[in-house]
Amino acid sequence: MNAMDRLRASRPASVPIEADREALFDRIVATPPSGAGARPARRRRKLVLVAAVGIAVTLTAGTAVAVSTNLFGWHTDDTFIKDPRVWRKLYRDATHELRLPPGMAWPYRTLAPHTITNRSEPGGMAVAISQTAWECYWTEALRANDAQAAGQAQAALTDLVRHHMVVAPAGSPENVAPPAGTRPPFMIYASDGGLGYVKHNYALAAAGDPSGVAQSCRANRGDLQVPPVR
Amino acid sequence: MNERPTPPEGSEARFRRVFAHLQPVADYAARRGSSDPEAIAAETMAIAWRRLDRVPVDDPRPWLFVTARNLLMAERRRSSRRSQADRALARPEATPAVESTDPAVTRALRALPERDREALLLIAWEDLTPARAAEALGIAPVAFRVRLLRARRRFARSLAADGLPNTPDVLEVKST
Repeated sequence: MNAMDRLRASRPASVPIEADREALFDRIVATPPSGAGARPARRRRKLVLVAAVGIAVTLTAGTAVAVSTNLFGWHTDDTFIKDPRVWRKLYRDATHELRLPPGMAWPYRTLAPHTITNRSEPGGMAVAISQTAWECYWTEALRANDAQAAGQAQAALTDLVRHHMVVAPAGSPENVAPPAGTRPPFMIYASDGGLGYVKHNYALAAAGDPSGVAQSCRANRGDLQVPPVR
Repeated sequence: MNERPTPPEGSEARFRRVFAHLQPVADYAARRGSSDPEAIAAETMAIAWRRLDRVPVDDPRPWLFVTARNLLMAERRRSSRRSQADRALARPEATPAVESTDPAVTRALRALPERDREALLLIAWEDLTPARAAEALGIAPVAFRVRLLRARRRFARSLAADGLPNTPDVLEVKST
């Protein structure tokens, strides 16, 4: 028997649940169906009103921009870069728009030889670096009980999520690009819940649980040198 | 007026499909050393109901396992605080994070870093596909495959060191 088969064979047997499943189901669905339902009604109404005004303002402003530029909606980007100098220039430009944790320098990155990519990729790379760096910093800050550093990381990541991360429509091709009014740099997420998961991890970290951001830091940091929290 | 919001149309039917995974979630919690797997599973389902719009319906297990894992961590933190308080009474320490039916496998699993162990167990015990397991760990499928390969190699090595002769699986991992 090989190691994986032996591991499978060693799985502890399932212990049937003793509780009355139907009763549990009924008890759960008898509670409010979403987190919003748990809030007091007055606060909820206020939030709805603020959200409605926000959406109206955004729609009005967004439509004005879209009409003025005559470029509305997601499209495929067929403008490719093959010159590493162009790639590095775009990467450098992106780094000026983004922040890193205190004491950290932007790592050198360039376009791999015999490779082409689209124009948003260098900026996306810079966003990913900033994101991972702040996640690692947040993890450290929470473990060190440094509320100030944790707050700084949370603010930086909130800014990244709000201004530099976008979700492509479902079924988009690899070379999809956001509407022309979208200000670079940005990272494009597929419409598979990935960004939702990222936000979930940030909500956990904001509540003091670093497990999600720590996981992401470990998985993505690669050669990034994130300085310790000071 | 403070009315209880009514669930959107079809919510219960949708949740029932998620709720069908109650037993696998309880098993997941039990295999990770929970002192009360049923409670973890019930709480996981209650959270799934509150956040139903975020739970993937096609296969909710990765989402459920992530939630259960977070609850397990909270349970362990509580248990660790308790065992610190109870140390004077010489109570046993917190339950182990993993327990299999094969002592050599248990030893080999405990020798692995937690993230490698979790990658292996999601595949071998929870029957997730690599893509779903990657989702449960919050990493890219490519990163997961690398982690799994490394974990299998370490696990096989650790088992071999514990008396199991080199097996085709060890060779297969080396040649991949």
